[in-house]
Amino acid sequence: MKKHIVTLCILSSVFISACGGSGSSSDNSDNSNNNGNTDTNGGGTTVVLPGQPKDGLAPISAHTPDKNEHLSGGEVSTNVFNQDAFSQSAKVIQSDFELEGVFKAGDQLFRTLHDGQGPLFNNATCQGCHIKDGRGEVPRNPSMPMTSMFLRISDDKGTPDIIYGDQIQTFGTVADHNEGALPKYNGALNEGLAYGEAYAFVEYEVINGQFNDGEAYQLRKPIYKVKDLSYGDFNDSVRLSPRVSPSVFGSGLLHAIPEDYITSYADPDDINNDGISGRAVYVDEPISNENKLARFGYKAVTASVLQQISGAYRGDMGVTNIVAQEEPCTSMQAACINKAEQEKDDRENGLDLSKLSLAQVEFYNRLLAVPQRRGYNAQTNTWNADVLTGRELFHQAQCISCHVPRHKTGQAEGSLLGDAGLLDISDTSTPIAALSEQVIYPYTDLLLHDMGGHCPEITREDDEGNSCLSGSQCYWVQKCEGLADDRPEGSATGTEWKTPALWGLGLVQTVNPNATFLHDGRARTITEAILWHDGEAKAAKQNFVALSKAERTQLLTFLESL
Amino acid sequence: MKFSKSFALSLVCAAILSGCGGDDGKDGTNGAQGDAGKDGVSVFVTTSDVVNTNAQHAYAVYSDSLLAAKALKAQLEVFVAAPTNENFTKAKEAWLDAREPYGESEVYRFREGPIDNLTKNDAGDWILEPEAGPEGAINAWPLAEAFIDYTIDMDGAQNPESIASISVGGNIISNLEEFPVINKEVLKSSFGGLNEAQDEANVTSGYHAIEFLLWGQDLNEDGTYTANRDYSAGYRKASDYYTVENDFEGKVGTCTSGEAGSDNALCIRRGQYLIAAADLLIDDLQAVTNAWAPGSGFHYNEFTKAENAKTSLAKILEGMGRLSYGELAGERMSIALRTDSQEDEHSCFSDNTHRDIYLDAKGIQNAFLGSYTRDTGENLQGASIYDLLVVEGHPELANKLRSALELTMAKAAVIDTNAKMGTSFDLQIQLNEFKPAVTETIKALQFQTDVINEAITALEVTTSDLKQDTEEFGG
Repeated sequence: MKKHIVTLCILSSVFISACGGSGSSSDNSDNSNNNGNTDTNGGGTTVVLPGQPKDGLAPISAHTPDKNEHLSGGEVSTNVFNQDAFSQSAKVIQSDFELEGVFKAGDQLFRTLHDGQGPLFNNATCQGCHIKDGRGEVPRNPSMPMTSMFLRISDDKGTPDIIYGDQIQTFGTVADHNEGALPKYNGALNEGLAYGEAYAFVEYEVINGQFNDGEAYQLRKPIYKVKDLSYGDFNDSVRLSPRVSPSVFGSGLLHAIPEDYITSYADPDDINNDGISGRAVYVDEPISNENKLARFGYKAVTASVLQQISGAYRGDMGVTNIVAQEEPCTSMQAACINKAEQEKDDRENGLDLSKLSLAQVEFYNRLLAVPQRRGYNAQTNTWNADVLTGRELFHQAQCISCHVPRHKTGQAEGSLLGDAGLLDISDTSTPIAALSEQVIYPYTDLLLHDMGGHCPEITREDDEGNSCLSGSQCYWVQKCEGLADDRPEGSATGTEWKTPALWGLGLVQTVNPNATFLHDGRARTITEAILWHDGEAKAAKQNFVALSKAERTQLLTFLESL
Repeated sequence: MKFSKSFALSLVCAAILSGCGGDDGKDGTNGAQGDAGKDGVSVFVTTSDVVNTNAQHAYAVYSDSLLAAKALKAQLEVFVAAPTNENFTKAKEAWLDAREPYGESEVYRFREGPIDNLTKNDAGDWILEPEAGPEGAINAWPLAEAFIDYTIDMDGAQNPESIASISVGGNIISNLEEFPVINKEVLKSSFGGLNEAQDEANVTSGYHAIEFLLWGQDLNEDGTYTANRDYSAGYRKASDYYTVENDFEGKVGTCTSGEAGSDNALCIRRGQYLIAAADLLIDDLQAVTNAWAPGSGFHYNEFTKAENAKTSLAKILEGMGRLSYGELAGERMSIALRTDSQEDEHSCFSDNTHRDIYLDAKGIQNAFLGSYTRDTGENLQGASIYDLLVVEGHPELANKLRSALELTMAKAAVIDTNAKMGTSFDLQIQLNEFKPAVTETIKALQFQTDVINEAITALEVTTSDLKQDTEEFGG
């Protein structure tokens, strides 16, 4: 019996499109309603409402999972479920020794320090933020600096702060500060040394609420405070947006979903009148210079894994590279510029990171596998009953309007940088077969949604909460209602966020026990994360609040199985 | 019965390798025509024979590692009790000795074997579960040395692996509050990430933890830590272990932590850490060795089942290929070469990385030749992949792979020799006249991987054999 199932699975991996895809293959004829490649237009008029996916897959059933739905990343799934669950390569490249070599080289670079790092940075390594390739964390108390989260900064129009740029780097580079120089009030101005930019910390207020059945819950409402500005005051209409580093696995699959498959879910004017818009925005991709769908970043600001990681190398680590060539100093930060000039940029053309290294790290990120589902028994081909019920509730509560369960990748293009080897990089760019034509279950539409909330203007307070105007003890304080940051970014407004993928959700705290949820880590549990939903997601949230205790548990069992 | 006969024959064959292709110089290029299987041509070698040899040698190489780890612990205890310079040197030598067999065992990684996957299930039985094995605790690197004991850092941009991960109270040895007791259980849980957010750099156990506690950081001789390195390895002083309790030669209470005047408790705890790390290492190696014990080891029995022969052969070849390319050529050598970073050097405290490279390559060659020389000098010689390729009708490929592996060994030997002549690997990746030897070894490893791929095709062990196996774990 065991063997039989295994054989089927190998079969389906040969005919990849059969894995939740084409109904033409005989091996899923018993299940064709869920997997069939049926023509949903049925020959009538072809008005395509938003949410009619163009991926050619039959509509997903709320009742019966697809045949291979347990393989969240298709062939790019892993069966490792421990603290290394997010750090695995796709099985298909483990047997391709050369590709695995590039992956492992990228893995090593992801973990290591780089020459020329800084002068300003949030962390010295990629892994330091993306802890074990998973999420970063909120410092345990205000006396601990943020090391795997940071604050974005701009004015009220989203324009970068003239002094601090678009991100507050907590650490700087000053002699004898071996773990990075923390910010010091006016330190860079008075001493000419490249201290970290500013020290941000968070305090929480408790919000009490209750489910419809009367059970109480508590949420943590964050209050962000910033002190020790090393380079002078923020701009007059400053806006801040705290971000915890997201997990990085599965990004290559998300990158490989064809744009029109994603935009088929977009409904910016809500013409189907379901209260949910879904907005696709576009951005210029470096190197190709093409205008592409923005699908990475909390507010959908980058088009590709390469664009995302090259920005992170520069912004988060101060490691310049071919895509992001400028040191992380603004023209107003003389101390930073001076320090940058002392860097030993001997890698490549005066940049800190070589093209080969960047390509290897890109490959690593793209090929990090997605954990398979738990709650599924491959031997008996059965799902845990609570997972199934919870899945149905997830559909019924309209969570899937944004957290679109299933997508299909197209051809995954090779790197714009060229094909990376161990020692050199070629001009060719070979599509990545492992990522191509995969049916995947990320639970996101990759679109922007208004999530509600608003922020009063940032105030100045001392540590007693009294209003103040200036000085080292006069903090910058942001208290927002709901999820809004009131900081436009890219094409996103101050209340819009891109739907994050939910795959791997149940393993987040296995990989990093200190990890929490949502963009700024305010939610300690998945339940809290759901309860923060508002704006377009308000109805879905209310559906959740109205569930019975047993149903909520089932829904969470489902989410934990992702 | 059949097994023992073919095993003996292959012994003969491997002993006179050049005889296995025919030309003895007297009877022309084809050699004298003999009856099949009766004159030393290994026609009887089967896939199962190769698998059995590989499994038996796994036990040998892991038990050598275990024995050497026990010898190391004994020497560490002697040193901690009486931290003389002489005992310090002996302890370091015992560590270097312990690395020798372990290096040759690494070819048993990357094949879903005990080293990567061995763990206990809820019922307390040993099982294999993907990536749940002790490898990380035994041999992971880079080490989070700043999480273990005092360190100094290069000026400027050099930082700990993850600032977030350094606990509030500092390193484990100095943090009496958070870690009042140091024993193997504490090291085990601190590795597993139960209390701390652990990124992969936060390794606090295994060979490299002991290495760090013996050598200290690989600083320059003048105690500085600069981008331009000198020829010295780490230079921890024996006085880091002086305590009131181990009073000897009148050096009562003169504990140092690099600098003089350190708290006696720190030297005691440093010694406890050393022994605890050795204890944990022994436990882990014991478990892996047990799993491979011929007859009693659950993995040995599974691996050598006749019906698993093809899958097991696929695993052997997968381990060889993945160690050659991704791990050795890729992660350990190419990155160290390109980033010119000590952090990326495997045994950076002791400057023993040349042995890691050489022994890893040696292990791959062992797996191919079905041979292993034990620490006692006893030479184990069994059924080889070479033999199997000949039997399966691929004598030229057998020879091509033999020569590819030999070429890698020759090139790795240059790194090894250069290091033994005084230019440690961390300098070889920095000095232009030594870099070519490193690059050449990487290229040789890449080439041998190509030939291993050819062997995989020729022997018709497809990756789906492996997939099938991993899929079974997936349920």
